[in-house]
Amino acid sequence: MTTDSATGGLAAIVGRRAIVLFSTGRELYSVLVRTLYYVWRGRAEPGATARQMYEIGNRSLFFLTVVMGFIGMILVLQAGLQTQRVLPDLSMLGASYLELLVRDLAASIVALMLATRVGAGIAAEIGSMVVTEQIDALRMCAADPIDYLVKPRFLASIVMTTVLTIWSGGVSILTGMLTAEVVFSVPPRTFWNLSLVHASDLATGLTKCFAYGAAIPVVSAFCGLSTFGGSEGVGSATTRAVVNSSLSVIILNFLISSTAYLLFQ
Amino acid sequence: MAPPPASTASAPFASLAAARESLYGVAETVGKMGLIAHQIGVRFARLDFDGEELKRNMYKMGVKSLPIVVVTALFTGAIMVVQAAPIVQRYGAQQLLGWGAGFGTLREIGPLLTALMISGRVGANNTAELGTMTVTEQVDALRALAIDPIAFLVVPRFIAMVATLFLSTLYADALALFGAAYAGQFLLGVEAATFYNGLTSGLLGIGDVANGLVKSVIFGGAMGLSSCHFGLAVTGGAPGVGRAVNATVVTSAACIFVVDYFVSFLLE
Repeated sequence: MTTDSATGGLAAIVGRRAIVLFSTGRELYSVLVRTLYYVWRGRAEPGATARQMYEIGNRSLFFLTVVMGFIGMILVLQAGLQTQRVLPDLSMLGASYLELLVRDLAASIVALMLATRVGAGIAAEIGSMVVTEQIDALRMCAADPIDYLVKPRFLASIVMTTVLTIWSGGVSILTGMLTAEVVFSVPPRTFWNLSLVHASDLATGLTKCFAYGAAIPVVSAFCGLSTFGGSEGVGSATTRAVVNSSLSVIILNFLISSTAYLLFQ
Repeated sequence: MAPPPASTASAPFASLAAARESLYGVAETVGKMGLIAHQIGVRFARLDFDGEELKRNMYKMGVKSLPIVVVTALFTGAIMVVQAAPIVQRYGAQQLLGWGAGFGTLREIGPLLTALMISGRVGANNTAELGTMTVTEQVDALRALAIDPIAFLVVPRFIAMVATLFLSTLYADALALFGAAYAGQFLLGVEAATFYNGLTSGLLGIGDVANGLVKSVIFGGAMGLSSCHFGLAVTGGAPGVGRAVNATVVTSAACIFVVDYFVSFLLE
């Protein structure tokens, strides 16, 4: 800690933190509002959005397939072990697994992975542009960086988060099915039991995809745009982007899950 | 992972060539991480590392990560309860809420989410720091002064990272259960005491806690190796540092999940 915080006492530290937190929140909100404004009003740029969709979607495909494949195996393994302790019957393993995957885990784990991959990528790219004064050059040309850089990433991320969630959900269902068959000898026909998956679960899952897909680029772009200092600044902006977008995913997950529970119970 | 390979082949073979290149990239990364692991192991066995640097990194990585560990853990616990809620409602099994949330938290979600958050904060930060040093030739300067950069920079960071993750997981487990107990009280109306009873009624043992902690040490090792490797391998100025940080978080996350499966399988 610096010397002024030692002289200022606890109240000063808390106050300073609170002011920083408040002003950060306000700036983040302003990035979000401007992004939404330009989605509504800005120039249509299908080319840039398609490029970002490739960057966010196709380039994450391999990574997400590997991660979600392993997630499927881990979850079924742990759930099976857990169930075996209290019940001898594993016939509902698949049904509960599918319910949990659709309602929460597919969207949330994909979003956490995208927060690290896509969030770090967006912050590093925009951060390097800030450091090399390309953002100032854009402003000089009367092009708002939010319209020019953030909006395509925002649209691409919303679409691609949903698409990737559906794909990787499929992958983890397959690997989970395989694990159930091999480790617990639950046949795939018993495993594929959709009786617990309701429309409300699907709606919750898709709402999560949408919310995470919107939150990740906005938070990371905000971190990228507030970069200062050379290559060190880019590194710390990237770190902040990963941490803050992961935190926003976790907090959004809690908010959406509890709202859905209270609405649909 | 490796930077995108330049596509040289014609259209039908381009994706095949890209797949081959990315496979080579993965193999190269794993090999280099293995080499760094060997170098770290040799110096660690000889106790040949910088103590001051270790203390500094323990503070910077461990103490400074506390806020995000606290927030993550509290929300994680609450999410576990919300996810277990329908099952509890369906079967009226309020006594089992503590056991269900506790099992998932201690064995999987606690270590996993703490590792992901720490990898985002500490692993990425470490790569950025080592990368900046590499780009500004400070690592070469150390070599020129006959100071071994592995012993001076990498080993203390590696030890600090493993220790940070272990201690944070211990802390996060406790906080997540605390968050789960009170989320259960507010959302489901299950008394916190009922939750704690379910937690301690004998279905969960020290084995479940130990399982998660063993995982956290292994995750810490994987994270430390990938972040030190990518930090030292940076080329190409500020954008290079950004790319290296990106590669670190992706590789750490992939390693964490792959390792998690094998550890869960072996430790069952």
